[in-house]
Amino acid sequence: MKVELSAIVNNYHYLFALTLFLIGSYTMLTHPNLIKKIIGLNIMETSVFLLFVSTGYVEGGGAPIIHGEAAVGAYVNPVPHALILTGIVIAISITALALSLIIKIYEYYGTLDTDEISRLRR
Amino acid sequence: MDITVHFPIIIVLIGIFASFIIPAANLYKIKIGEIISLASIALMFVLGIYLRIQLAIDGPFTYHIGGWPAPWGIEFKVDYLGAYMVLIITGIGFLTLFYATKDLAHDLTENAQGIYYPLYILLIAAMAGMAITNDIFNLFVLLEVSLLSSVAIICIKENEATIEASLKYLILNALGSAAVLLGIALLYMITGHLNMTFIAVELQEVYPQYMNVIIAAMALFLVGFGVKAALFPMHVWLPDAHGSAPSPSSAVLSGLVIKIYTVSLIRIYFQVIPRAVITAIPIMEIVLWLAAIGIILGSMFAIVQDDIKKLLAYSSVAQIGYVFLGISLMSFTGFQGGLIHILNHAFIKAMLFLSAGVIIYSTGLRKINDLKGIGFKLPFTMTCFTLGGIAMIGIPGTNGFISKWYLALGALEAGRPIFVLVLLVSSMLNGVYYLPIIVNSFFGETPEGFDKLKIDPVPWQMKFTLLVLAFGVVFFGIFPSLPLGILESATEYIYGS
Repeated sequence: MKVELSAIVNNYHYLFALTLFLIGSYTMLTHPNLIKKIIGLNIMETSVFLLFVSTGYVEGGGAPIIHGEAAVGAYVNPVPHALILTGIVIAISITALALSLIIKIYEYYGTLDTDEISRLRR
Repeated sequence: MDITVHFPIIIVLIGIFASFIIPAANLYKIKIGEIISLASIALMFVLGIYLRIQLAIDGPFTYHIGGWPAPWGIEFKVDYLGAYMVLIITGIGFLTLFYATKDLAHDLTENAQGIYYPLYILLIAAMAGMAITNDIFNLFVLLEVSLLSSVAIICIKENEATIEASLKYLILNALGSAAVLLGIALLYMITGHLNMTFIAVELQEVYPQYMNVIIAAMALFLVGFGVKAALFPMHVWLPDAHGSAPSPSSAVLSGLVIKIYTVSLIRIYFQVIPRAVITAIPIMEIVLWLAAIGIILGSMFAIVQDDIKKLLAYSSVAQIGYVFLGISLMSFTGFQGGLIHILNHAFIKAMLFLSAGVIIYSTGLRKINDLKGIGFKLPFTMTCFTLGGIAMIGIPGTNGFISKWYLALGALEAGRPIFVLVLLVSSMLNGVYYLPIIVNSFFGETPEGFDKLKIDPVPWQMKFTLLVLAFGVVFFGIFPSLPLGILESATEYIYGS
């Protein structure tokens, strides 16, 4: 399959989003420290937000508000932004719940290392 | 203005409003919060029946939230599968909550009891919304609401096991949610719609152009919903979470929550993605084999467990495999079998978890070896457990037989007799881990000091719940035509004839 370089250069934000997604999920799945797992989760969610928001962007577009009858030029798509605001709120709730559970784990085990915790449980 | 047209949204809103009112009522008296939550789920169930009748008269219908028509506003669509799921969720949800009103006092502090009801109602409302929503982003939001509330009803009982299990559950399911959101983003990028019907129409035209994007989105949905529904290699969080949670939470999580994610996956794969893409790549083959491996290995893991609730949790890993097996066989009867197993497993697994809950409630025992002779102390509960066990094995006369029969017919219809063998082996394995418990509880040699074992009296609410569930297991086993009739229209509507 032939991929033109210009296609990659013009859509570099998708590439960044993909890289962030991989970094985030790698950190989350492999790092033993629970706090860093949550940071990885947040990086991963941010990458999805970046991808989603960047789809609405139009080069040189303005806010989609009509001033009188002079409706000219391109408009950016506001829908992804509105959706991602919801997404950010959800990500914050998940982070808050996870961090409060981590506090409890620290109270019980005195460590945040998952390897250490599974050793203590045995 | 006619209020009845607003029923699809009212079903969800009742739950959300009730979950806000109950904490205020709890300040006055917890009993009132209890009554409000029971009443609101009962109301949801009644509205669900109304929608089902409406559906039988008019056929599938849509509801536009706020009066905004489809591409702009959020749309709820009441179709055969959605109404079926709403009835199962609210029905089993009501019974489990009725049981929980007595059981919770044993497990939780008074403060935690007050918080349990709003979380539970929120979970039921979010699941009912997921069953009938037709908007893919709305689906994501309700998915997260159900994720957060189901984590909360596990960790509400605070000890090392539940906190660790719920953190594992939260992290892995948040990964699943991110995958689902990425899949939604990809579909939105190529179609510009969030409404499932519009995405489906748009994809029908453009799919040859964006084949790779659609395949990536499908893979992301499979991982996302697969983690949440505990499809085989992604099931690692389930046994801990379902095994350590309070018994009513386990019953709801195993009986209902994992199913609703399966239904969401069915909706996206069969109603949104063009059928030509599904058949062009071997995605259903992958799901089929994962489900088959899950069925066998889930049962094998269950054999070695010594904790009764862990055993039931591993059995859920195997049972969700049946649902996935049914939908991925790509045959009409198999699809129907997968869908009917949603109902049957909801009844059986809720009954088994609640029976285990009664045993833990009245004796405090949860190790399988300690349960010898327990049948004499708790005859009614162990009879229900026995019924659940033989339904899991699939003895004719129970509803477990009906699902296995349809799945086996579906496998033959698809020309894959090897999966009939998988079903038979799995039935045998189910026998291997359910029968010893049952036999030992009635005929086993009682351990020393057994006569001195203190048995707390079981409240009638708990017995009544078990009785209704047991009745359901036998009733749907002898008269399966009622759900099968509904599912025939559902299968025709989603899968095509």
